[in-house]
Amino acid sequence: MLHVTIPPFPPPEMSSCFLDEETFCQCCQLLLQHSHSLCDGWSWEQVKGSEEGYLRKTALGTGRTRCNLDQQGNSSDQHQERTFSLSFHNDDDDDDEDDGAVCCIQEESSSSSVVQYEYHILYSCSYQTPVLYFRASTLEGRSLCLEEVWDSVHPNYRQRLQHRPWDTITQQEHPLLGQSFFVLHPCRTEEFMMPVLKAALEEHRQVNYIVTWLSVVGPVVGLDVPLSYCTQKHQWLCTRRLIDCK
Amino acid sequence: MSDNAESPTETQKDEPSTPQQPTEDSGMADDKKKIDVLLKAVGDTPIMKTKKWSVEKGRTVQSLSQFISRFLKMEANEQLFIYVNQSFSPSPDQEVGVLFQCFGSDGKLVLHYCKSQAWG
Repeated sequence: MLHVTIPPFPPPEMSSCFLDEETFCQCCQLLLQHSHSLCDGWSWEQVKGSEEGYLRKTALGTGRTRCNLDQQGNSSDQHQERTFSLSFHNDDDDDDEDDGAVCCIQEESSSSSVVQYEYHILYSCSYQTPVLYFRASTLEGRSLCLEEVWDSVHPNYRQRLQHRPWDTITQQEHPLLGQSFFVLHPCRTEEFMMPVLKAALEEHRQVNYIVTWLSVVGPVVGLDVPLSYCTQKHQWLCTRRLIDCK
Repeated sequence: MSDNAESPTETQKDEPSTPQQPTEDSGMADDKKKIDVLLKAVGDTPIMKTKKWSVEKGRTVQSLSQFISRFLKMEANEQLFIYVNQSFSPSPDQEVGVLFQCFGSDGKLVLHYCKSQAWG
């Protein structure tokens, strides 16, 4: 297995905690090394004819959807063919309540169901941070609509999301693939990364920016990062200290 | 949104110079065991007056997070994050007992907490 040696991060001269693209790639490679040992599904996807790439992972999780409603709006067998169209796809149904733009989800008519997630970690040049893009669909292949995604956010973050949902998760075109993805807004990434990086700098510890960042943002949208990503790094740091002492 | 908020079952401790081992109730089941947690503020986050808490092993990070948020009287637009090793945020469903096993030392688990608007 290729072991990547990376220059110290945060760098001693750090005045802000913005991430450059090279360090992004290096941190991703370190994450991948551990991911391979865990077989937890991360892969690096290179864009054809480009230097750019991203981390990708698919996983099954849970979410709150309306896919198992019948015509009366009652819960029914989830294998029953759906009669409502609750997304932005072609609508052949008679029901025109959800006519066009807004998909109205009422808490009491949504239920927990299995959701297929696909997560991408991209580097944003404009924000100089990583950004989490994701897709979510039912097992029947229907994409969740934005309101269903908001409804599926982990309860630990629900209150903050409900305060300003449009500032948190929206739909955007994937910068590299051009397809519609959900995205967790990155504008305030520095706000929660800075204290961690500052402390690391002061104590001469190194952190993997991507691992730290992902551990914070991932659980919001059903992506938990196993604890061993933290302990494994810890072992790596100990090794480095041993090397430095010789 | 109900967040199954029990009033704190933690025992407040004064600031001893040495951390105490969790006390065991004789004859009680294992799930009554508690671990010692030391809470440290990060950045501009307010410091809790009481930092040492005795927490049931089965308590989740989310539950602890809710407790700290209420203790700090946080606003609706703020999110609390908890870190182990000062660098990793455990899943909200993670039990503190497991964190203690992985990251505890000197009989206690040190957790850093930080509040932030987080997204936008």
